[in-house]
Amino acid sequence: MVTNLNLVDFLKEYVINSYTMKPNRVVIEVEASKIREVFSKLSETLDREAYYLATIEGTDFPEKNLIRIDYFVNVFGHNTYLVIRAYLPRENPIIPSVIDLVPGALAGELETYDLLGIIFDGNNYLRRSFFVPADVSSKDIYPLRKDSGV
Amino acid sequence: MVEVTHLIEIPMAVEIPVGPQHPALHEPLLLKLYADGERIIKVDVMTGYNHRGIEKLTEKNTFYRDIFIIGRVCGICNAVHTNCYVRALEYILDVDPPPRAKYLRVLSMELERLHSHMLVLAVTAELAGYETLFMYLMKDREYVMKSKEILTGQRVMADYMMVGGVRRDIDEVKTSRILDIIKRVEERIKYYHKIFQEDVTINRRLRDTGRIKPREALAYSLVGPVVRGSGIKTDIRIQDKYDAYGDIPFNVITEDYGDSYARAMVRFGELYESINMVRYILTHLPQGNPVPDERKLPRRFPVGESYAAVEAPRGELTYYVSSSGGDKPYRVKIRTPSLNNIVNSAFTYVDQMIADVPIILGSFDPCISCMERAVITDLRRGVRYQVPLKELGGVRK
Repeated sequence: MVTNLNLVDFLKEYVINSYTMKPNRVVIEVEASKIREVFSKLSETLDREAYYLATIEGTDFPEKNLIRIDYFVNVFGHNTYLVIRAYLPRENPIIPSVIDLVPGALAGELETYDLLGIIFDGNNYLRRSFFVPADVSSKDIYPLRKDSGV
Repeated sequence: MVEVTHLIEIPMAVEIPVGPQHPALHEPLLLKLYADGERIIKVDVMTGYNHRGIEKLTEKNTFYRDIFIIGRVCGICNAVHTNCYVRALEYILDVDPPPRAKYLRVLSMELERLHSHMLVLAVTAELAGYETLFMYLMKDREYVMKSKEILTGQRVMADYMMVGGVRRDIDEVKTSRILDIIKRVEERIKYYHKIFQEDVTINRRLRDTGRIKPREALAYSLVGPVVRGSGIKTDIRIQDKYDAYGDIPFNVITEDYGDSYARAMVRFGELYESINMVRYILTHLPQGNPVPDERKLPRRFPVGESYAAVEAPRGELTYYVSSSGGDKPYRVKIRTPSLNNIVNSAFTYVDQMIADVPIILGSFDPCISCMERAVITDLRRGVRYQVPLKELGGVRK
């Protein structure tokens, strides 16, 4: 059985930094450009019936000029969550899309693009007003950015 | 001799919008179906009719006020939403509620699962054309709502969770009243279960519609009874053992076949499990005071982040809460089970009949309105234009 330690271990070539998030989620920081390789490696190593991508979450840090993106993967076969975390520049937040590797990423990618403006390169379904009302999205505002004024 | 003036071309794919107005229930959602005859070839899920900006709102209010905002995310499962958020705060604060509070939290969440599953099963019966069963199930659901009111003080919007405990305690009178209700409801559920198993119409409508293979269910991140109906044993209650789920015995119900009928049967199985859990909690309730003193809770939160998950009636519900120090959260991310189950489930409709769409949609939200169009080519003028099929009878000139 793969334990928490091994989870970080088999992805170690991509891991920049790793720590735990409360209550016991394993966080690994990776480079944004390597995200597809990380998910490919996950699907090679883990049994396909042992995990699924639960959540995609983005946070804006205007003072650091960064946007952070977290992929929460529920590895229920090994009773743990893996958090894959990457930082993107705020002016040009582009990250490769993973919907062809993990189709379940669709909802999260659409939502994160509409609310935070992270562009998922390769996802042709991205569109404004997926969630955000037309009066806000037509002004080219991403409401979850801290300086959006919403 | 008849002169040919118009060529009428009826397209292979007819576009049919399902929604976004739902007179029956739940969220406004538009499913754009593309159908070849009666068979669906593609579905687009269109959202954005009811965005309320709650994540942004929580950033502008304090941690404690947010508990009440979060409770209003969902009317049906507000206890699980607040529980998940409150636990995320407790992880940041390193607070552990007393055992009695943990048991009472589980009690409120299981009562919620009971009435939520009964609602979904009632709607399923209605969609299959069995409205009488809908009425009966809704009537008995009302008793469960009553027991939730006995416990929390409110039949819908409970606002029951507090950081470090719950808002009110339960005494022996209330305990025996809830036990009475549960006993009555259990008999009825057994009866409805038998109807679902034996009724010819329900069986014919539900069986083999919207079949999802286990690998697909996981690849598309479907959660809750949907994925358990495809034979995958995943349940956050088992995985995280949050609150008192580590102490209370229960089974994870799975069905193998993965069709709408299997999902309904998972829900029936979970109803029995919830009833047993409610009974266990009320007879094994630990002693102590479950209500914390609100004045002693810290106003400012330390820097930190947490990711709480809860098994809501519809599946895995997750909250990510980040604190940058201070009295307001820096970021709250809510991922409801329906986001995954609705947006990612477009593939389940492909190759199904139009009439089966509401059945497949069953656990989400049902309604149909139709629009048809045909393309007309005017051969004399060489132009193409579209008219609704209804007006086709009148196209002569």
